[in-house]
This record gives sequence, structure tokens and C-alpha cells, in this order.
Amino acid sequence: MTMEMAYYPGCSLHASSQLYDIQCKMVFNNLGVALKEIEDWNCCGATAAAKTDDFLAIALPARNLGIADATGLPEIMIPCSSCYSRTLISQQRLSCDPEIKDAINAELGKKIDGKIKVSNILEVLRTKIDSGEIAAKAKKKLAGLNAACYYGCLLTRFPCDVQVSDDVENPQGMEIVCKALGAETVDWSYKTDCCGASASVNDAEESQLLMSRIFKDAIARGANCFISTCPLCQFNLDAYQDEVGKKYGIAERLPVYFITELIGLSMGFDPIEMQIDRHLTDAMPLLKELKLI
Amino acid sequence: MSTKTLNYDTTNAKSLLREVSERSSQNLSACYQCRRCAAGCPVGEETGVTPDRLIRMVVLGDREEALNNLLVWQCVACYTCGTRCPNNIQTARITETLKQMSKEAHLDPLRPRVADFHSSFMAAAEHVGRFNEIEGMGLYEAKTAIKELKKGDLQAVIDEMMGQAKLGMKMMKKKRMHFKVDKVKNVAEVKALYRKAKQGKGA
Ligand code: SF4
Ligand code: SF4
Ligand code: SF4
Ligand code: SF4
Repeated sequence: MTMEMAYYPGCSLHASSQLYDIQCKMVFNNLGVALKEIEDWNCCGATAAAKTDDFLAIALPARNLGIADATGLPEIMIPCSSCYSRTLISQQRLSCDPEIKDAINAELGKKIDGKIKVSNILEVLRTKIDSGEIAAKAKKKLAGLNAACYYGCLLTRFPCDVQVSDDVENPQGMEIVCKALGAETVDWSYKTDCCGASASVNDAEESQLLMSRIFKDAIARGANCFISTCPLCQFNLDAYQDEVGKKYGIAERLPVYFITELIGLSMGFDPIEMQIDRHLTDAMPLLKELKLI
Repeated sequence: MSTKTLNYDTTNAKSLLREVSERSSQNLSACYQCRRCAAGCPVGEETGVTPDRLIRMVVLGDREEALNNLLVWQCVACYTCGTRCPNNIQTARITETLKQMSKEAHLDPLRPRVADFHSSFMAAAEHVGRFNEIEGMGLYEAKTAIKELKKGDLQAVIDEMMGQAKLGMKMMKKKRMHFKVDKVKNVAEVKALYRKAKQGKGA
């Protein structure tokens, strides 16, 4: 039975992280979930809006929420942690501040009613683990992978009161998915530490220091790869790993997989079709070495 | 951490505390300096200012220090401090507020590149309603380059461009650059929200 779920890809899944968009659609399709990209969505404003304008930080995701509400679907999945966080914060704020909600609705063709449930990708995947649907589709065991599951900041920490579905300091969602696929995970200390976000561009020294701590701990714990659900976290660890490694004397390089890549591999999807060969830190050799492809 | 002596401004402490508390919607008065936030702040060591210290500056009314310290510019909004604070104080909201106040006071940002990045991001996102990496980065690089050149620092411009070019080349090679501009059709609606924000109709 196919069910429909609203879907907000956000800008990065339409640009440099298009591979994640492709993978999400492949994996969820196979799980019987048709992702319906909401029409004519706009950028949520990310952290830049929060840092420059309080009203926009609420209003930009609000327009998307209005469009999502109008689909009549019960749930919207948002893979990017930053988009997810901004959208959830906006929905929460709109529900307790009718004045700002009216001010924004006055500008919108599709008004916000606040009904739609905003979910991140792990929350949706968890329901598919619990129902046994992932196990039923996971043909290949991912033996040999020993993953450092990296949650970053925005999946579990919010600047306001929202319901967080995982443990805030030691989340387990990705570990549970990995186990269901036959991959091992490491216990480590930096799973919810910050990589520096856009500081990788505007304050490289700071973000590189933060990333170096993340790399060192994962390696010290014996991980052979990272797993991420966020295109921004993934991009930072993937794109800057070599530079940070050279600067901080770290010899090892670990591929940074999207969670959808592991699920897709175990479902038997072609790694090239999933574009796993397009990572900036080579992600194919480990899979070959472990005979997973 | 910073050991600088803070100035207790007896006449203006109350008004500064009120302004920051209201704008950030954080109850700064609830802070009892337990420093749980400080232990988790990933940038406290480098900036020399931890969240508890920043709050102290505001409470004591040391406006100059509060608007002009590295934590305001280098807070990465990781929300660790606020998640752990027993009094639910979100310092990331406070640094956002202080950043805006510092801009309103026409102070030179201590990290101009951070300020330029966020304003370039917003300009690019406003233009077509979606953030275009190439346009956003282009604006940001241009702003940064002009500033460095004014300072006569040609080497900084070259280093920056080379660094970005290297990443760009790597991304090209891996087919990760997308030159198609993704647009919102009803961009007028998005612009209306930006206009409303500029009129100060917001929160
Ligand atoms: S947070 Fe990033 S990915 Fe998400 S919509 Fe905004 S710019 Fe796009
Ligand atoms: S880990 Fe980095 S990219 Fe991920 S949410 Fe935190 S700052 Fe953003
Ligand atoms: S954790 Fe909260 S109460 Fe304790 S010092 Fe930090 S801000 Fe103040
Ligand atoms: S949100 Fe800012 S102040 Fe708070 S812990 Fe993170 S970097 Fe430090």
C-alpha cells in the first residue's frame, strides 16, 4: 500500500546535495511512501534569518507551512536538519502567538492552519523500523561497517520548547537504523557536537577546530565511517575533512554516508544511481573493501 | 575565559537588561552563574567569553563589552548552553539580539565576515526566494574581497579565492555544482514577507 507524505527538500537538496534528494525518493518509494514535494516552496532562511531578523525567521518557514497545510496530508518530512529545525520552531511560535500568525497569514495565498505534523527523516524511518518494513526490504547485511552516527546540533537541540523524539544528549535513532541493516556503531562523545555550520565558510579557523575534535574522537573509537541525516552536516565533514586532517595531523579519512545510502545499499540499489561516487571524501573504496558493492 | 573587570553601570543596567531580555525573550535575571552552559560551549575557550559571562555583562549594564565581544560574533548557535541550562536560558537567542543591537549601534562587527555571510545569504535567498549557493557565495566573496582590498591586504584576497576555488574545483569534478537557478514562482509573496520585516511589523 502506498501512502503519500508531504516533502520539503530545501535548497541544498536542490543544489549541491541533490544526491540526497534522489536517495530519499528511491528509499521511501521502496518503502511504499510517495514523497510529494510541496509546491513552490521558498528557502526557510536557515540560521541566517535568525541572526538577522526575528520576523523573517518565523515568516519564511510559515509560508511553506501554509502550502503544506493546504495539501491536506497529515505529515511533512524534512530531511535537512536546519530546515527541519527552523520549520518546527516557526510552527511552534505560530501556535502560541496568534498576532504574528495573523500578520503572516494576511500576506499568504495559502494560509497556515498549523495542522500538519513536521517530522525529520529519522522519525519517519523509526516508524518503518518498528513496523518491520525496513527489515523486510533490507536484503543485504552491511557487515563490516562501524559507524560513528553524527547528529550535529539541530536534530535534538532547539532554542524553544518543542517535543524532541530522541534523547537530547545521546540520541539513538541512527544507531537503531544501522543495527537493523546489520552495521555496527561506535559509542562516542561528539555525536551531537557542532561542526561550526556556516563558520566553515566565514570563520574557517573556528569550524576547523570543531571538526578536528569530531574526526579525532570518531577515529579513536574505531569508527570506519560517519553517518549523517543532514546535508549541511554531511557537507562539512565531507568537504573539509582533508583540509582539517592535514592541518591537525590526522592521517585517516572516513567516508561520510547519508543514512539513505546505507538503507539503499541494503535494499540492493546501485551505488552509482544513488551517486555515492560523488562524495568529496571518497566513499566507494570502503564499500568495495567490505564487498558491499 | 575573560578575566576583564566588568563595569557596573548603575544608571543603565536596568534598561539594558530589559531591552536584551525582551528582544531575545530570554529571562536573563534567572541566571545564577552555575556555568553549566560554559562547560558545553564549543567556542567559549577560543572566544574567551562563555554564555554566563555574556549574561553577566548585560546584567551589570556593561553595554560596551556586551555589544563588542567575540562570543556575539562566533556563537555557532548550537543550542548546547540552552539545552543544559537549568533555567532554560538560550544564549544563542541573546547573541542574535546583541548582534542586531550592535548593528543598530553602527559598531564595526568584530567578525565582519560573519556579518557579511549572513546578509549575503539573505540577499541571495530574497532575490528568487530560494538560496542559490553560487549567488550567495559570489556576493559574500565580493563583499569580503572589497574589504580586504581596502585594507590593502591583497594576499588575504588571493588566499580566500584560492581556497574557494579549490573547493569549487573539487565540487565540479564530482558533479556537485548546479548552475540552474531554482526560483519560487510566486516570489512576490516571499518579497512581501521581506517587506513586512523591513517595516518592523515583526516580532
Ligand atoms: S536551511 Fe539551507 S537547505 Fe534549508 S531551505 Fe534554507 S538554505 Fe535551504
Ligand atoms: S552539526 Fe554543523 S551542519 Fe549540522 S546542525 Fe550543527 S552546525 Fe549545522
Ligand atoms: S547554565 Fe544557565 S543559569 Fe547557569 S550560568 Fe549558564 S545561563 Fe546562567
Ligand atoms: S549556542 Fe552559542 S553560546 Fe551557546 S553553547 Fe553554542 S556556541 Fe556557545
